[in-house]
Amino acid sequence: MKSLLATLALGTALTLPGLAMARPVTLSTTLNTYGGDGAYLVLYVTDASGAYAGSLWMAGGKSKYHEHLSDWYRATRGDTAQIDGITGASVGAGRTLEVTLDLADALFDAGYTLHIDAAVEDMRDSPNEVAVPLTTSGAGRAAKGRRYVAKFSYDM
Amino acid sequence: MKLMTLTLLAATTALTAAIGAPGWSATRATGDPLGLLPAAALGAGQDALPLDLASADDDDDHKYRNGARRERDDDDDDACEDEDGDDDDCADNARNAAPAGTVAPPLNGLFGNGALPKAQTN
Repeated sequence: MKSLLATLALGTALTLPGLAMARPVTLSTTLNTYGGDGAYLVLYVTDASGAYAGSLWMAGGKSKYHEHLSDWYRATRGDTAQIDGITGASVGAGRTLEVTLDLADALFDAGYTLHIDAAVEDMRDSPNEVAVPLTTSGAGRAAKGRRYVAKFSYDM
Repeated sequence: MKLMTLTLLAATTALTAAIGAPGWSATRATGDPLGLLPAAALGAGQDALPLDLASADDDDDHKYRNGARRERDDDDDDACEDEDGDDDDCADNARNAAPAGTVAPPLNGLFGNGALPKAQTN
């Protein structure tokens, strides 16, 4: 009986940290009515030193257009392995993209910054359209983009 | 010593025969009784193919549709366009990323092991 309890306790102790290490986070991006085709957006993260840490979401599936997301493309050389499993459709003008991801807790309050690069066909590319530090206190606060993004926020 | 030399010679002869026999048979099959034209073996059967003096690819600059002549660009990239005039359906050499939900997110340390990413556009 004691060994069973010990086993259960050990299992719980091992499981709980794993559950606590990540949490669902919803990233909401609303576009301006800029009067063009659907926008390609990429959401990615840099670390405290400004180095590319990884991608969170790619809106726009045709890799031949990804070079227009210039900051992201420069960091990744357009490597599609960076966005396998996190790629969806481009986003129309005036629409809101909501992405829910299971993100590591270590991303928050550790100097990471979330960036959005945006591009629209026959319109100007907009690298670093949005740049917001990832902090727990920043959750729910809307940030404005430079050209195409009307507002961006994350909730957790 | 002699026995060893003889054995070695026999072995090399057998090896040469084993390698050469199929090639010899191929040249004989082409109708070259002396086997002087081994290259003919490589072209065997080509007579059965139609002689193609010009490519069958439609690479000219004009296309006729419904009796009307339609001008085409020299670079001929219209093949990528659909009825809407966009080229989103054009096949591209670059590999597109796997859509969300089909594979797990990349192991970049940013994601947990929980639910797969979900997205919706409103």
